[in-house]
Amino acid sequence: MLAFCNVTKRFGNITALDDVSLEIAPGEFFGLLGPNGAGKTTLMSLAAGLRTPEAGTVALDGRPVASGASAARRALGLVPQTIALFPELTADENLRIFGELQGLRGPELRTRIDEAFTAAQLTDRRHSLVKTFSGGMQRRLNLVAALLHRPKLLLCDEPTVGVDPQSRNAIFEYLQRLNRGGVTIIYSTHYMEEAARLCSRIGIIDHGKILALGTLDELLVQLPFEDEITFPVDPATAPLVARLAAEGEITAVDGMHRFRPRTGYPLSAFFALTESLNLPPRLFVSQRPTLEALFLHLTGRTLRDA
Amino acid sequence: MFWRAKAAVAITFLVPIVLIYLFGHVFGLYRKDSGPVGIPIAVVNLSQEPAALKLIEALKAEKAFRVITTRDLGNGATRPLTEADVRAGLHDNWYRYALILPADLLPDDAFGVRMKFLFNPRNEIEAQTVNGLLQKTVFSNVPQLLGQSLQKRARRFLGDERFERFNRTIANTLADNFGGDREKIYQQAISGDLGFSELNRTEAGKTPAPPPGLRRLDAAPAPNGPDAQSQSSKLEGQKSAAAPPQDQKSSTDIFSQMVKIETEQVAGKEVKNPMAARLVGGYAIMFLLMAVSASATTLFEEKNSGVFQRLLSSPVRPAHILWARFLFGVILGLVQITALFCAGRVFFGLDIFRHAGALFAVALSAAAACSAFGMLVAAISPSAAAANGISTFVVISMSAVGGAWFPVSFMPDYIQTVSKFTLVYWSVEGFTDVLWAGRSLLEVLPTIGILAGIAAGVMAVAVWCFNRGKLFD
Ligand SMILES: Nc1ncnc2c1ncn2[C@@H]1O[C@H](COP(=O)(O)OP(=O)(O)OP(=O)(O)O)[C@@H](O)[C@H]1O
Ligand SMILES: [Mg+2]
Repeated sequence: MLAFCNVTKRFGNITALDDVSLEIAPGEFFGLLGPNGAGKTTLMSLAAGLRTPEAGTVALDGRPVASGASAARRALGLVPQTIALFPELTADENLRIFGELQGLRGPELRTRIDEAFTAAQLTDRRHSLVKTFSGGMQRRLNLVAALLHRPKLLLCDEPTVGVDPQSRNAIFEYLQRLNRGGVTIIYSTHYMEEAARLCSRIGIIDHGKILALGTLDELLVQLPFEDEITFPVDPATAPLVARLAAEGEITAVDGMHRFRPRTGYPLSAFFALTESLNLPPRLFVSQRPTLEALFLHLTGRTLRDA
Repeated sequence: MFWRAKAAVAITFLVPIVLIYLFGHVFGLYRKDSGPVGIPIAVVNLSQEPAALKLIEALKAEKAFRVITTRDLGNGATRPLTEADVRAGLHDNWYRYALILPADLLPDDAFGVRMKFLFNPRNEIEAQTVNGLLQKTVFSNVPQLLGQSLQKRARRFLGDERFERFNRTIANTLADNFGGDREKIYQQAISGDLGFSELNRTEAGKTPAPPPGLRRLDAAPAPNGPDAQSQSSKLEGQKSAAAPPQDQKSSTDIFSQMVKIETEQVAGKEVKNPMAARLVGGYAIMFLLMAVSASATTLFEEKNSGVFQRLLSSPVRPAHILWARFLFGVILGLVQITALFCAGRVFFGLDIFRHAGALFAVALSAAAACSAFGMLVAAISPSAAAANGISTFVVISMSAVGGAWFPVSFMPDYIQTVSKFTLVYWSVEGFTDVLWAGRSLLEVLPTIGILAGIAAGVMAVAVWCFNRGKLFD
């Protein structure tokens, strides 16, 4: 549906996107995971035809987006990273303007706006000025404003920044519902949990390069370990640490020991060991490795302080 | 950060200094002699009196005036102006003041001087100043005229022969008793130089007031003036005229009784408060420029907020955004001008309905020019803050130079030239044309055309800058 082919985008001497090739299939929920300045917004703006690349092509359904006719533009919706609304107008007026600019009129526009307010859970505030909204409310409105014309491709640039967990869940469910309804979604974020939870396929981006691409499972097998066990740094666990050193990689992070067993090391052996040392099971958290770990593995940095 | 702050500080200090300097120029502070310069004034001379020519010379010598006495007939030929000429000229605003020296400048039937002052009071300050300057010039030449008037009457009263003999005798007596050339004294007497001119040259306060009558003869050898004065008083019994003034001021008072300047306001007769038209028009344009610039700078907010991204990812194109903003500026401008003129109507009784069509056309073209200006400011500025700075600076300078506050004709020549390049000048011109001179739509079409041209030109540059600039990057 959307194809990036050897795309390079520069701002002065900053290379925001460096020879990116990427293909998004119809119906995908694609996650773009990367730290600040990775090039996520740049990629989104190229996809939306707001910018033209210095090299390479961006094509939507086989047609270049930059020269896109208005039909092509109607096929996509962009949720900008910033709150792209008129703060001095009411929520309702905002949606009416954006709907009309998308060519919607009359009763159709009205129903779409009603749906949008329901989805954003803002129906009771629809006649308030946008500037009186909380940050999270503005985010929700910012999202639904891009959906009035029911685009086939939705570009969400970090749509959940500053949204509380409850609203965030509501947004996730709404997006997943849309995706099930056939809308292709590209979702950029620097929260690995979001990407892991929502996306059918994930691209990890840093310094303008796609470092890894695939489903969550495909990505995680790139790590040289399958599980990760954490437990507190404590005199009681000290003997355990000494015994585990031979069985894998063990590091101390933020007052916690992190144990990544070598391939083939059975978890049963680990728990037998803890039992023999009289350590209660509740001290131990076993989990699959995270995208965070993958990012660290790929870049040598964590997502947060990248 | 430091450099930025430094630049900001520099601007806060520099801008006022530059503005003050500019205003200095506008108000002509850098000229040694402040005051208006080169205000065109038409003079029609229908009189045969030599003193009339002298008066015209005096007017020409006055820096405040640019005296026009002839009409260009094309192919280099000229002819003296007629009253009909100047009335047309006044109406068409070629000049705003005209002085008519009638055939009976020195009427036969009465003692005194007669002239007619026609004016088109496009602005009150200027009209008052011109009036004052004109009076000053006329009155400093009045003694001559009066002398002529007296001699003329004397000649009529005595008959040519006796009049001549009388003057000769006086001259001879004077020459015999006090020395001097008989012929010269005679000529002076006959030309009516009664010594008033001498008297006028003595500045009030500096030299003691000249004593009345013959006592002045004692004080100064061979000034035939006072003698002729007493002579005339004998002849005519014009005691008030003959009594030499105690000082300049009282002399002017006396003269003003004898000088009959008939004043006639030629255009804009119905305007109740002539100053209001300029005031309202000028301020309307200034505030309009400010509002429109502010409106144009919201382009930056919209860009930063991402509204542009949202719009541009929809079927909306950059040109749509620019033209919508321009159009919004025009509408905003029209509403604002309308509101201000309605206020002008309420407060000053401006007649805004008589030429509503022409007024609307001027307002529309002015609003378009202002809106285009706002777009240009946004186009050339890197940020909203810069746009605000630039627009404040340019709007204030342009309003000052363009005559929104202060008649352009008071400004030095070079500023007057500069002001013709400002849209403020043409807007104010358009408004005063309609509201003051009561021009019709057809008559103000050139001004509207210039404003529309400014709007189109400025908008073209603005669009060009936008396309090259960062706004849609
Ligand atoms: N308009 C611009 N002018 C100059 N440089 C830019 C511009 N937009 C982006 N960049 C640069 O391009 C790089 C990628 O920026 P981009 O906005 O795409 O990052 P991002 O992944 O969206 O980051 P964030 O998570 O902070 O939103 C950065 O180094 C940024 O400084
Ligand atoms: Mg971004």
